[in-house]
Amino acid sequence: MSGVNLSGIVKSYGAMQVVHGIDLTVAEKEFVVLVGPSGCGKSTTLRMIAGLEEITAGDLTIHDRRVNRIAPKDRDVAMVFQNYALYPHLNVADNMAFGLRIRKMPKNEIKTTIDDVAEILGLTEYLDRRPADLSGGQRQRVAMGRAIVRHPKVFLFDEPLSNLDAKLRTQMRAEIKRLHKRLGVTSVYVTHDQVEAMTLADRIVVMNNGAIEQIGTPMELFNNPSNTFVAGFLGSPPMNQMKGTLTDSGALVGDVEIKINGATGPHAGRNVIVGIRPEHVTLTAEEGTSPLPINLDLVEPLGSEALLHARHGEDNLVFKANTENDIDSLSGVNKVHIPAHLVKIFDADTGKALVLGD
Amino acid sequence: MMKWNLYSRGDKFFAIVVSVLIGLFTVATLYPFIYIAAVSFSSGFAAQAGKVVLTPIDATIEAYGYILKDPQFWISYRNTFIYTIGGTIMSLMFIIPCAYALSRPQLKGRRFFNLFIAFTMWFNAGLIPFFLNMRDLGLLDSMFGIILGFAINAFNIILLRNFFESIPQSFEEAARMDGANDFQVLWKVFIPLSKPAIATITLFLIVARWNGFFWAMVLLQSESKIPLQVFLRHTISNLSDDDEFAIVQTAAGFSAETVTAAIIVCSIIPVLIVYPFIQKYFEKGILLGGVKE
Amino acid sequence: MTDEHTTAGGQSYEESVIEASEANRQRFDDGRWTRIFDHFKREWQIYAMLLPTIIWFLVFLYKPMYGLQIAFKDYSIFRGVAGSPWVGWEHFQTLFSNDQFIRAVKNTITISFYNLLFGFPAPIILALMFNEVMHATYKRTSQTIVYLPHFISSVIIAGIVITAFSPTAGIINTFIGWLGFEPVYFLTQPQWFRPIFVGTGIWQEAGFGSIVFLAAIAGVNPSLYESAVVDGANRWQMMWKITIPSILPTILIMLIIRIGNVMEVSFELVILLYQPSTYETADVVNTWVYRQGLQSGQYDLAAAAGLFNAVVAFVLVMTANTLSRRFSRTSLW
Repeated sequence: MSGVNLSGIVKSYGAMQVVHGIDLTVAEKEFVVLVGPSGCGKSTTLRMIAGLEEITAGDLTIHDRRVNRIAPKDRDVAMVFQNYALYPHLNVADNMAFGLRIRKMPKNEIKTTIDDVAEILGLTEYLDRRPADLSGGQRQRVAMGRAIVRHPKVFLFDEPLSNLDAKLRTQMRAEIKRLHKRLGVTSVYVTHDQVEAMTLADRIVVMNNGAIEQIGTPMELFNNPSNTFVAGFLGSPPMNQMKGTLTDSGALVGDVEIKINGATGPHAGRNVIVGIRPEHVTLTAEEGTSPLPINLDLVEPLGSEALLHARHGEDNLVFKANTENDIDSLSGVNKVHIPAHLVKIFDADTGKALVLGD
Repeated sequence: MMKWNLYSRGDKFFAIVVSVLIGLFTVATLYPFIYIAAVSFSSGFAAQAGKVVLTPIDATIEAYGYILKDPQFWISYRNTFIYTIGGTIMSLMFIIPCAYALSRPQLKGRRFFNLFIAFTMWFNAGLIPFFLNMRDLGLLDSMFGIILGFAINAFNIILLRNFFESIPQSFEEAARMDGANDFQVLWKVFIPLSKPAIATITLFLIVARWNGFFWAMVLLQSESKIPLQVFLRHTISNLSDDDEFAIVQTAAGFSAETVTAAIIVCSIIPVLIVYPFIQKYFEKGILLGGVKE
Repeated sequence: MTDEHTTAGGQSYEESVIEASEANRQRFDDGRWTRIFDHFKREWQIYAMLLPTIIWFLVFLYKPMYGLQIAFKDYSIFRGVAGSPWVGWEHFQTLFSNDQFIRAVKNTITISFYNLLFGFPAPIILALMFNEVMHATYKRTSQTIVYLPHFISSVIIAGIVITAFSPTAGIINTFIGWLGFEPVYFLTQPQWFRPIFVGTGIWQEAGFGSIVFLAAIAGVNPSLYESAVVDGANRWQMMWKITIPSILPTILIMLIIRIGNVMEVSFELVILLYQPSTYETADVVNTWVYRQGLQSGQYDLAAAAGLFNAVVAFVLVMTANTLSRRFSRTSLW
């Protein structure tokens, strides 16, 4: 049984199509994160699952039941909203009980349910407070509590952490992860923050322009992006991309040849994008690396490491370097060394990853 | 706003002059009310001779005695309460659900309905067709006709619709996912969230009903149905050229002027009582309605 | 050997996605009628909420518009709106050869003009002055008082005016007497009607009207004033160089609204204040309509006059809205 299944889901507003036929299966108890730039259709997709947007075409099933024409309340899903949507005129307990009362759950059951969930979320002592008297993190917890009390089949999260400051966001991220482990409910989570996606997801769905670019576990996507978009979206800073041409033994970037693992011969002469993650370069030559001369613009110390902003030809590049050594010595760097096995190659025209034979 | 101590001498002088002018305008606004109150408590002779300026002359409550003894005064006072309370409740029962519906993006034909309602602000058929229509509907000389026929105006709907539109959509969506239908969303979420806006509209409605005069005068014939404002008008116009009254009054301590003033005071008092509550809201309320993107 | 993940046929990824979705639409689309049916099944409640008001508008505001046709008919109560015979433009010809009607049109425009000339600047000046008052409680109290007359009924306003301007008993003539002049019969003399009417309007509405401008002033970025102070400007200069230019859009919009409402003289107050001896300056279109139609029973002629008034007003309001849209990029409704 699948948790949520989308097949050929299309959303149009009049003549404008914004989601172009999405296929996605979320397994039961899986935590899937939809990530992409704003306007990529991720929120629309989530809202179609919730039933807040009508589906133009395609099939949506939840626990194998087609729900295209089922009202949101009957889909057995709960949603955590970006602005929490807590009712300011109700206290925490009444906010959480809102849906249960509408569903006419007996009073004593409501009470025990609310108390249990408040316990889990550490909200017990705040049950009488109004949302206005709570901190951002507490409001966030109430919003989750309101979803949890209903014991839905699926949790939907619409950028739930984007209204929190950076520190709290990290904390709540961990809390959501723990909660998911504990409750084991199928979850679909939308964010534009790739760090959230990497840390929370069992599988990540990268979306762009209303279509899915790639689906996979965080590490699959990080290590083997299927195109330049995914490569440029995940990772902080993202993967460096340089224009180049394949040769018999590697790739020519400007007038420098970078060694690549795999057989490049059959593709010799092909225009490609050469990708290398900022953290994958070394400052000293090692086994299997090739040097790339750079013009260093700027060194940004981050504490344990530093970012080197540099240029090679027309390409702007960023590299990460350890700061174990004297940070001043980094300002003298004029080349980096690129390990052949970590270089990614993409077709220059389509942006698709090229997988080279041995 | 800048601190007074940082003002230059010239600026201080300017501010003081302006404050004095504001004070004068305020006094000029207030004075007619004080004058009328003074007249109402003065003797008929003093009022007729134009002796009253600021305080009652030969203070007496004869004028109040005269009107409070008039059963018509109490009937019309009661009627005004009926029109005000009944009319306001009727209006809200139309306006609130309608404004909610118009604020929903999923309403098909929303543009049309908005235009359908707003059009009546720009073009109305005028007095005669409206009057003939009321007559054809059998609503002449009918209290229900007054309450129903003036229940809605487009401006109030648009004002409340704008407020409802400013409520984040996620409130409705959250309630919907929790299983609420539209009536529940409106009743349990939108109305509690819109208390200030609804209070503003309610108070505007109350004031409009309390002050309503022209159509009550035109449509109502029975004395048993007229509101206070119409009674007031009758009294003012009758007293001033009623010879019989002139003879009666010489014996008593009142005159047409003091009786008129006393009725004015009696009908202003409820407005003065609600006024502090209104003031909290109308400054925001007035801005809510007008300009919309 | 190599193996690449590009799509078949050298097609771009986007193209293939769009093509797939076209196919999906064929396959999965629930169909237009199904979706419309679903929509009403799911959303019937909002239509139910809308319905009473729509019916009310039809019965009380749109049906009279249908009844307006009597302006082109020889209306008889017994035959009703639909049954009365058509007479074309006859009533309009009568109207425009009727001196009283022509006078009413002129009076309407003249009174509106004076309202605009004196009544329009008053709330702006008042708001600018309130902005200069430093003492918070003083300002607040004063505002409370000057807003008040707006909430008083026209009957009471008229009652106050009649009492205060009474030739023997009124306070105004008491003052005139103190100055050694003969009492003036203000309300029976045509030359006094307009000043009293416009003055009453200012007294009643200037305070309340200032709210809009005060809000506009409150919206001015405070750093503009701060930088002006640093530049050495005084309050008078700041008012002219910062406040007034900043609220100019609001002033323009309000002016346009006022011009759009030129035909809407508050006739309720006119009815309460005028008398036959002041008709020559006081009688406006709506009061004329009221007397001809509701008092003398010439419904068709009065309806024609009302229609004339409504059409002129409509054109003015529409023009005003178009203008305001141009000035502010937001429409008024």
